[in-house]
Amino acid sequence: MGTEPRSPDSSETDASDDQELVVNIGGVRHVLYGYAVNRYPESRLAELMDCTDNEAISSLCDDYDKSKREFYFDRDPDSFKCVMELYYFGEIHIKKGICPICFKNELDFWKIDVDFLDECCKCLLGEKNDELEEIAQQVKLILADRGESADTCWGKTEKFLWKLMEKPDSSCPARVIAVLSFLFILISSVVMCMSTIPELQVMGEEGDLVEHPAMDSIETACIGWFTAEYILRLLSAPHKLKFALAFMNIIDVLAILPFYVSLILTTIGATLMELTNVQQAIQALRIMRIARIFKLARHSSGLQTLTYALKRSFKELGLLLMYLAIGIFVFAALGYTMEQSHPETLFKSIPQSFWWAIITMTTVGYGDIYPKTTLGKINAAISFLCGIIAIALPIHPIINNFVRYYNKQKVLETAAKHELELMELNAKDREAEDSRRQHIDIVITKTSNLSLNKSINTYSDAFTPLLAEEKLHRNRLQSCK
Amino acid sequence: MPTGMNRGGSRSTNSLPPDPVEIIRSKACSRRVKLNVGGLAHEVLWRTLDRLPRTRLGKLRDCNTHEALMESCDDYNLEENEYFFDRHPGAFTSILNFYRTGKLHMMEEMCALSFSQELDYWGIDEIYLESCCQARYHQKKEQMNEELKREAETMRDREGEEFDNTFCAVKRKKLWDLLEKPGSSVAAKILAIISILFIVLSTIALSLNTLPDLQDTDEFGQVTDNPQLAHVEAVCIAWFTMEYLLRFLSSPNKWKFFKGPLNVIDLLAILPYYVTIFLTESNKSVLQFQNVRRVVQIFRIMRILRILKLARHSTGLQSLGFTLRRSYNELGLLILFLAMGIMIFSSLVFFAEKDEDDTKFKSIPASFWWATITMTTVGYGDIYPKTLLGKIVGGLCCIAGVLVIALPIPIIVNNFSEFYKEQKRQEKAIKRREALERAKRNGSIVSMNMKDTFARSMELMDIVVEKNGENLDKSEKLRDNSLSPSKWKWGKRTASETSSNKSFETKYQEQSSPENVRNTNASPQHLNVQKLEEMYSKMAKTQSQPNINVDQMDQTFKVKKQNQMEMEQISVPSDPLLSTPDGIVDMRSLSSIDSFISCATEFPDPAKFTHSPAASVLNKAPVNPALERIQDQAPPALPPNNAPGRQVPPALDSNYYKNFLGISSINAGFLGGAGDKRGPSLSEIPEGPSRQGNPIKSRPLKVNFMEGDVQNTQAAALSAIVHPSAIVSKRITGPLDGPLHRERHLASIEASITCSTSGTKSPEDILPDVFTFHDDGVKKYIDADSDEDEQPPDGRNTPAGSLSLRYPHITNSDHPGQKEGIYRRDGNHLEEYLAASSAKHFGQNCLYNVESATRRTKRGGNQEGNKLDNHISPEIHVTSGESGCSTAYDDKI
Repeated sequence: MGTEPRSPDSSETDASDDQELVVNIGGVRHVLYGYAVNRYPESRLAELMDCTDNEAISSLCDDYDKSKREFYFDRDPDSFKCVMELYYFGEIHIKKGICPICFKNELDFWKIDVDFLDECCKCLLGEKNDELEEIAQQVKLILADRGESADTCWGKTEKFLWKLMEKPDSSCPARVIAVLSFLFILISSVVMCMSTIPELQVMGEEGDLVEHPAMDSIETACIGWFTAEYILRLLSAPHKLKFALAFMNIIDVLAILPFYVSLILTTIGATLMELTNVQQAIQALRIMRIARIFKLARHSSGLQTLTYALKRSFKELGLLLMYLAIGIFVFAALGYTMEQSHPETLFKSIPQSFWWAIITMTTVGYGDIYPKTTLGKINAAISFLCGIIAIALPIHPIINNFVRYYNKQKVLETAAKHELELMELNAKDREAEDSRRQHIDIVITKTSNLSLNKSINTYSDAFTPLLAEEKLHRNRLQSCK
Repeated sequence: MPTGMNRGGSRSTNSLPPDPVEIIRSKACSRRVKLNVGGLAHEVLWRTLDRLPRTRLGKLRDCNTHEALMESCDDYNLEENEYFFDRHPGAFTSILNFYRTGKLHMMEEMCALSFSQELDYWGIDEIYLESCCQARYHQKKEQMNEELKREAETMRDREGEEFDNTFCAVKRKKLWDLLEKPGSSVAAKILAIISILFIVLSTIALSLNTLPDLQDTDEFGQVTDNPQLAHVEAVCIAWFTMEYLLRFLSSPNKWKFFKGPLNVIDLLAILPYYVTIFLTESNKSVLQFQNVRRVVQIFRIMRILRILKLARHSTGLQSLGFTLRRSYNELGLLILFLAMGIMIFSSLVFFAEKDEDDTKFKSIPASFWWATITMTTVGYGDIYPKTLLGKIVGGLCCIAGVLVIALPIPIIVNNFSEFYKEQKRQEKAIKRREALERAKRNGSIVSMNMKDTFARSMELMDIVVEKNGENLDKSEKLRDNSLSPSKWKWGKRTASETSSNKSFETKYQEQSSPENVRNTNASPQHLNVQKLEEMYSKMAKTQSQPNINVDQMDQTFKVKKQNQMEMEQISVPSDPLLSTPDGIVDMRSLSSIDSFISCATEFPDPAKFTHSPAASVLNKAPVNPALERIQDQAPPALPPNNAPGRQVPPALDSNYYKNFLGISSINAGFLGGAGDKRGPSLSEIPEGPSRQGNPIKSRPLKVNFMEGDVQNTQAAALSAIVHPSAIVSKRITGPLDGPLHRERHLASIEASITCSTSGTKSPEDILPDVFTFHDDGVKKYIDADSDEDEQPPDGRNTPAGSLSLRYPHITNSDHPGQKEGIYRRDGNHLEEYLAASSAKHFGQNCLYNVESATRRTKRGGNQEGNKLDNHISPEIHVTSGESGCSTAYDDKI
């Protein structure tokens, strides 16, 4: 651990080493010895040791009793007990029950680096910090949504459009648009499926089956809607490039593009290349229409969570695939060799038996290929047992991730709202205090250190990541009210 | 316990409150202040507290008078610059940190509900809770609220079954219990089992019916049911119909019954049969038509719904239904995932396979089937891909299917297990509550356990109330939850729930203002549990110095006797009971006392349960009527007060409740102390009742305590005597408040008895006193300790005399009571109890008072001592006046 005891070489420290430091932390008295305190010269207590003049002392502690040589600190005594461990044991553990964030602030006050925290407690702190960061992110998003009102007319309309298209919760028309968009996605997907039913197709000019004209027109209408939606979004987006590169928007483009590409190909492509090639290209592009189903993700938080969870559990997915791949390879090979003895074997080659292995390991079992010899059957039994295990093991963390994000998403929303309320409250309180502080004696603001502390204090902990933009936010908050 | 508090305790004996100047001086002399919260001392700068000026601690600085200080804190010691709060010390650490750092965090092991109470007490809005802790806090709170709401709903369901307004109420109730509650009796259980058997039988018959071997053919050549099975079916349906009808008839709320999901299932299980009969009978001629036959077939299929009737008999099935209802979000997600997967893979496989000859993937909808079977890993094998591309898609589809289905399931499973656990727990809780109620009725339970259940039930009631007035409450709640600085002014506004006790107090203070005026020089002293406990422990340590006491007692008894004689003389002329107007006034005042006592004695009981903020709301409910009564009857009691010659009734009045309130408060305190409950709940106990009768009543107590400090043995006696008298007072409330309250009191009697027996190791010269009292008041509860009755010291005469006085008094006072009507007699009844207890009691009280007074005066021209003397002397008159009054009754009647 990061203990950095100072070598007691200088004579000056020798003098203070024998000294006793009596501190009163919020009513609990502690006696610390100089040699212990001096091990960490940056800490507040060590600084206090070295202080001689009253001015410096009063800047470091809250009160000083000269007769008893007792320094008073208006801090949490419980946390200090943990902090004190540093001087004796060289590491700090957070006492159970104390909020890590709260404890971190105490450490800051005592001017002790967070690195001195032991690893076991540090991860606690890290978890909480991550949580807070997420909340802060959410708050940032909400604040960005609320946004400042733009000055220009175009800016206003841009803002309005953006809200209308991107934030279904912001207003009634926005919700209507979201529902409409959802319906269009559904209709276009259904139409895409229906158009492949042979009974619903009509004879084309060249004798082949083509889509029903009604379905074609519906398709066109849907594409028109999607295009309009995308363009409006793009136009109103504050950051055009960022918008264009966002995952969801790429899907949007992929959903629209095939239509236009095939349109272009049919009109001008014929002149450039052979007709069959054009038709094949169009066929390939039609597959890309499937992308529009992913557009649903925009309207479902569950789907977003799924993608998020999958993204987060990339390693586990890889593990799953690797297990499966190994299993498939092993069992396909085994199956092939064992079935070799049978005259009418269905296992013609190892690559062919891959298919059988997949179907068996995932317990689907179509029955198009199945073992016929006894050994092969035993192999099949083992293979699907292994398949279950190979799938179940890595899936668990993925599911865990999913559940965690799913639950967190719910909490995050309320937490962000709470945070905003807190910010608002603090802003108000601070104003009140600012006006009040002028009346109170100057003693309070005398020491720069304390007043600095105080001004920070009035923000919430989650707020600190946003501290830089604090003023902006406050203005926004006020403008929102 | 800090040593400083001892001196703080001695402060309360200086009946004079400290000067505001003194308070200000003590505050100004130090930058720091000591806060003692539940025994844990904290030291904090004043300016730290100033950061939140609207909170309780913030206001502490601005409090410059004794009254204001006492409103903010529970006790204080100016020399030590220490303020005592009788609250949970653990929660206070985080709250004080809020002052220091401006960030409110919550201790992890802290219960959210208790923390929210603490926040209310300290006047801090929960909105300040930091984000890292608020999720935990709100989750817990919401969970708890939800649970309570659900429990309240079941409670209401149970209570909603009222049969009183209709005919044959008793029989219908019996029938209802028989049919709806299998756990209620053996017969009901048997009925439930028969019902289950019928369900199983009918479903078996239904499936057997479709076996071709068992089917018959009718005249049209169509297959019909086997006649034997048809009979079975008819019998089953008859049973179901009967069951349903009986249930319907016996149900307390017809519409609610009709709407219930389980009853809808019942109806659906019966109806198809009748519809089929109707259709076949009315269309016999056209039965050969396919349409009618098809309709009949559909209804026949609907018969399978009867299997759902099993849900009535299985908690598991019910919770499954509930889970599905509750997690429809996740179910929707599951279906969405599946639908998307099916869409994507079926279209992919379609494009991969469509160029194959004789492919079965003819269109995307056709390949839906394949995708579904593959994703759910069923794999019939009727359709499978043949091209390489198709096989790759198929492989991906399998894996994706496993993933997609597995993802939302855990959430649903979680919901299910949670709900199932809850249901199980709830069943247990209901059983436990029933057992408790039974035990309560038998009076065999100690009040310690009851506290929880009562708190719970009160919370529930509160929620019920809340639900009833939901609209109103919601808006209020919103206001409460949002940042409302007004909430911080809890002292006056009493918006926060915990301080509702306080509101009651202040109300009372207004009402009893006449007394206040009369006793302006008396300071409102605050009795706190800590002191009591200290005393208690002390007396446990030093039990054996009766010699001095006996001497002193002799002396004091003499004094007391004299006083009594005097008062007798005074009171005989001044209290003409038989002269009608005065008599009525007198009686009224007495009855007002009764009601007052009922309220007072009742108070400690609910006060014990003020753990939960919700309970306090209910607290108010029973107390208020009693208060109103006081308000109504206080004026008639007061007029004689002004007349110089008629000092006895009001004196009596004040006397009574002085005594009783004090006693009950002590009792409460001791109960709490004995139960080792030093938590926040305790603080409410002494505070509530002791402040009620604020200025007057606390005086005797105070004196007693001082005495207790000096002479521990007597204090022991006091504590011992306190309990039985409290019992009596509780019994008094019995007839007034009805059986419901009596139950409660009985239970607490038990507790107090245990207390008193634990405290009876006190010297023998006092013990007999106690136990003779036991004999009279609470015969049932005498224990082995009563052997000690044998050695009565000199002082025995007086109480014995007053006891003997009691008997004629009772018989005589009953006479006019009968004449004057039931109400008055009631009053008399109570009065007799009162006389019994208070006479006894006052023997003791008076003894201490006089003794202390003399001792104090002897000690020198100490001003305080003199003052004390002054305070006490009227009281002595009052007590003796009381006994004199009873003799007066005796004489007159």
